[in-house]
Amino acid sequence: METYPITVGKITRHVPVVETLPGVHIPLIELMGDVELVQAAAEALVKHLPAETDTLLTLETSPIVLAHAMSALCGKPYVVVRRKRRPYMQDPIIQEVESLTLGVTETLWLDSRMAEKLLGQNVALVFDVVSSGGTMMALEKVAKRAGANVVARLAAFHQGTSKLPITFISEIPIMQTA
Amino acid sequence: MPNPCPERLEPYRLGGVKTHPVDIAGVRRELPVVQVGPEVSVALFNMLGDTEVVEQAAAALAQRLPTEIDALVTPEVKAVPLAHALSRLTGKPYVVARKTEKPYMINPVSRTVISITTGKPQLLVLDGTDIPLLKGKKVAIVDDVVSTGSTLKGLSDLITEVGGTVGAVLAVFTEGSPRDDVIALGHLPLFKPD
Repeated sequence: METYPITVGKITRHVPVVETLPGVHIPLIELMGDVELVQAAAEALVKHLPAETDTLLTLETSPIVLAHAMSALCGKPYVVVRRKRRPYMQDPIIQEVESLTLGVTETLWLDSRMAEKLLGQNVALVFDVVSSGGTMMALEKVAKRAGANVVARLAAFHQGTSKLPITFISEIPIMQTA
Repeated sequence: MPNPCPERLEPYRLGGVKTHPVDIAGVRRELPVVQVGPEVSVALFNMLGDTEVVEQAAAALAQRLPTEIDALVTPEVKAVPLAHALSRLTGKPYVVARKTEKPYMINPVSRTVISITTGKPQLLVLDGTDIPLLKGKKVAIVDDVVSTGSTLKGLSDLITEVGGTVGAVLAVFTEGSPRDDVIALGHLPLFKPD
């Protein structure tokens, strides 16, 4: 299996390279299950948290462990936006994602009980991998609709061209084959 | 037949919202009581975003994790930070059973269970690349709440199918009928809706 080396701090992983579209290959990074990589990424990213940050905002699934580890390091709480409606949600904020990848429509959901925690807060968005930035833009809309002020956009990894300026630790390539 | 409707309590009221007070390894929380069916309400326990509860629960469960356990398995999504913290504290690796099959998975193994929160069939999937962590190993299942045990049964079947042995089940809470097959930090009753 073809692999690509990813380094964060003192941690290096040789991750599998997968074909996402015909001729397009990307290194596949999975934070869940990798405590050391998450810890290293969290330590690197908390240094970029603006001092005025009140709350971290992330979405399911993989970046949750990163947000948790950052929260444990910096003492700031985090809120998770869901990708599916849950039965217990009351008056959720519902936000469509304008996705470029595969043309798949996606919807983000935030229960009003969680949205209340964002009102008037300075929030930092936390992602594992940002590529086009479409999902991050949707998360930013959720934050604004909940009455929050976005003070930082943080990602462990960045690939391709993002629509939004973001702070990231490591650039990963998109490899084209002839 | 076991009684499907065990004792149901009258919840407290806090600021007009019904809540149920809990103590999780020394951390106090008021859980909102929400109706999930015509005959039943539950105390809603959501650890996502509650770092203090996750870290304290992980520390308490780490002390009760049997020493012979080699690896942890947790279902996506809500218990993932707990498994992460427990793994960090104990040095045992953890594997996430996903709710959907991902295109990048290699030789995935799956089971369908009936979800208690949605009443719908729910898929549980292990990526084939995680199987070496479980095959021939003693595995602990880690979850936030063990209620009817349907997720537990599905995970146990999956672990057994890939050659692992379930050596323990750890949860923050059991719910409904008390059960002695789960190492838990507390118990949540079911409630009568208004």
